[in-house]
Amino acid sequence: MPENTPQASQDKFSRMPDRLSFYLERGSPFHRLNPLTKLTLVFCLIILAFFGPGYWLPSLLYLAVLIPLSLWSGVGREFMRTSIRLLLPLFGFLFVMQSLFYPGGRTVLVSLWIFAIKAEGIAFAYLTATRILVMVSSFLLLLLGTHPSALMNDFARRGVPAPLTYIIASTLQILPQMQAKAATIIDAQRSRGLETEGGLGKRVRALLPLVGPLVFGSLVDVEERAIALEARAFNSRRVKTSLVEIPDSQVERLARWTMLLLMLLALASRAWLSFKSRV
Amino acid sequence: MAFARQDVRLEVEQLSFTYPAGVEALREVSLSIQSGERVAIIGQNGSGKTTLVRHFNGLLRPTRGRVLVGDWDTAAQSVAKLAARVGYVFQNPDDQLFCRNVQEEVAFGPANLGLAGECLQERVRDALKLTGLAGKEGINHYDLSATWRKMVALASILAMDTPIVVFDEPTTGQDAASVERIANIVEELGRRGKTVITITHDIDFCAENFSRVIAMKEGRILLDGSTRRVLAQEELLATTYVEPPQLARLGRRLGFPETVCTQDEFFEAYRSWRPGA
Amino acid sequence: MAIVQVEGLSYTYPLAISPALQDINLSVEQGEFVAVIGANGAGKSTLCYTLAGFIPHFFKGNLQGSARVAGLDTSQTSLAEMVVRVGLVFQNPFNQISGAKFTVYEEIAFGLENIGLGRQEMKNRVEKVMALTGIADLAHRSPYALSGGQQQRVALASILVMEPEVLVLDEPTSQLDPIGTREVFQVIKEMSRQGITIVMAEHKLEWVAEFADRVIALAEGRMLLDGKPREVLVDPALPAGHIGISRYTSLARRATQQGLWPAGRRLPVTLDEAADGFREARRAA
Repeated sequence: MPENTPQASQDKFSRMPDRLSFYLERGSPFHRLNPLTKLTLVFCLIILAFFGPGYWLPSLLYLAVLIPLSLWSGVGREFMRTSIRLLLPLFGFLFVMQSLFYPGGRTVLVSLWIFAIKAEGIAFAYLTATRILVMVSSFLLLLLGTHPSALMNDFARRGVPAPLTYIIASTLQILPQMQAKAATIIDAQRSRGLETEGGLGKRVRALLPLVGPLVFGSLVDVEERAIALEARAFNSRRVKTSLVEIPDSQVERLARWTMLLLMLLALASRAWLSFKSRV
Repeated sequence: MAFARQDVRLEVEQLSFTYPAGVEALREVSLSIQSGERVAIIGQNGSGKTTLVRHFNGLLRPTRGRVLVGDWDTAAQSVAKLAARVGYVFQNPDDQLFCRNVQEEVAFGPANLGLAGECLQERVRDALKLTGLAGKEGINHYDLSATWRKMVALASILAMDTPIVVFDEPTTGQDAASVERIANIVEELGRRGKTVITITHDIDFCAENFSRVIAMKEGRILLDGSTRRVLAQEELLATTYVEPPQLARLGRRLGFPETVCTQDEFFEAYRSWRPGA
Repeated sequence: MAIVQVEGLSYTYPLAISPALQDINLSVEQGEFVAVIGANGAGKSTLCYTLAGFIPHFFKGNLQGSARVAGLDTSQTSLAEMVVRVGLVFQNPFNQISGAKFTVYEEIAFGLENIGLGRQEMKNRVEKVMALTGIADLAHRSPYALSGGQQQRVALASILVMEPEVLVLDEPTSQLDPIGTREVFQVIKEMSRQGITIVMAEHKLEWVAEFADRVIALAEGRMLLDGKPREVLVDPALPAGHIGISRYTSLARRATQQGLWPAGRRLPVTLDEAADGFREARRAA
């Protein structure tokens, strides 16, 4: 692929930026759902996981709702792999902390020196872990199954202010480029004899030569991009239109309200259960 | 001021490089650059020019083959250490500048190499003079125009007084006065016995300031020889999207038998030229 | 009625001590292709920003005199209204990609969405402009996965799609290689042929000589020269303004000193002129 800018050839070949977003093209029915429907699903799942009835609900939601959905949308393997990979370190930490330091625990399972592992701690850790798992993985599923373009367009159509959708969309795209820029800066300064590896002292001294150009360059870029946006009438007072039409249907609208209703019912049932148990 | 003449030869032996993403950027490239040569590397983007040159100071390590800077194998040295022998001027000065003022900026490189005191100051002064920055020592780079920032970046590398200096597209975006200044710097470096290597797509700048040209295509060396001989191969160069310099085009139009790259060469050919012959 | 009318224009950036432009008077007819040359810092970019309305609205500062472009007074008209009539393209291709859109097609349509155009009209314009700039095959690529030359053409397309009457370009080929440069010049020439007024700041004199109808030279914020390329580009005042000359001109000048250029013949600025001149000189010898 012939390239016409020397700079481009540097950035593209020497450092491959990370994938822009999690999105995987699969063309499944889930992918074709309106973004708001998927967002509603995520919202309901998260509320249920944190406030719904039952100790095992979050686990159930993950296993019986999220995983099947991910398989249905053709992103099953990526979904399971990424959700576990993202959260395993957190879970490990949680388990250690809660099992040892959970206040009010009575049932000691194992005793190690001055530390005692309590059953209540483990139980709490598991609940918290599965709640976080549902939260993070439902967003993950949303991102895997929704093109950022579709998401942004739908937001804009529903009245989310343009500056906000712009910030989200541009961050997704420009962040990998900034990574590439940072890498070039590191190379440039190393080429001037700057040591970047080694003891703490060296690393601290390496900070300013690396951060300085990044900030300065970013300021220049930001100003130029602001000019470019102005030149494209971004700040025009006229009502904006949309090139792309994201389809929505009665069925989906119904589905969204149904999900919300079910969620409210579940919350209500929990409130009623706890009321009953107190009486 | 005395400049140590160091005879540092650059050897590239069967160098192959593949990027982590799988792009094979260099295929068994071999070349040898003697101390004091002035070499331009040309070719379409994606041909491997930048990849090749990044091996010279260790920014990239060979996938196969090796690169020797003098007696140092680049694979065995850190980039910071190699900076003592190979100065690399990056294309975008804003990727380097961070100090409070020009003086500190230009002193940064040589200070990293272990220089200090009067010796350091002398180097800085010399670099500032070469780049036309004398008198601007106290200015912060924020307050300088893009052209002067380029000069500061140049000076920062020149002050390191490395035996080999690499320029990455030095004339991009520069005005006529700036290009002339850069050409003078290249000449002065040559006079001091430095090896100067440049990547450029400004074929006129290449023709007028460099005695040897290496043309690359698809990760291999297409042509390697004296400027005149290489630039005469117009058809071959066209396959790597390189066009002849303007004087060469004029010579070709007039029907000169030889390729001319500089004004002197033009007039030499002109004297023995008979139109219609 | 000139489409660009600048009278007594002076401008100083905020916090600057000396003015960036001093007493500029300029009149451009519709459809002209005007190149602006000058050393870095001479005021080329400042002039471009002023014609597009970014001075004074974006940069603030002290503006005196007047500039009327496409019938609009740049000081009185809001930037949002100016950009619909006057397009601006600048050096850095990467920073002109909005970042708001994920495909080239949507990127080009972005400006049209902002001015509230209907969907069908948007599609028509986008497709027309992609054909014009030769980037139809890039429609579904991410704008960030392109070469600099391709990105610059996308930037051009994104501005042209808004159908400005005047197109202002600030060194658009500065960061491009010869191929990218040619591609951009060809698009701009085509736009000029279609009647769009072009004002372009540029260093590459050989291209200016070949493509521009008129050349303006700036030096230290003032107008130095204004005329046809073959007159301005060989004017002896250029070196004093730290502006270079084309290689053909430089060669012919040296030839003149050695008596190898036809006496009285104008110095060349293009390849053709140089070739003709040297052939004539040889015949006369």
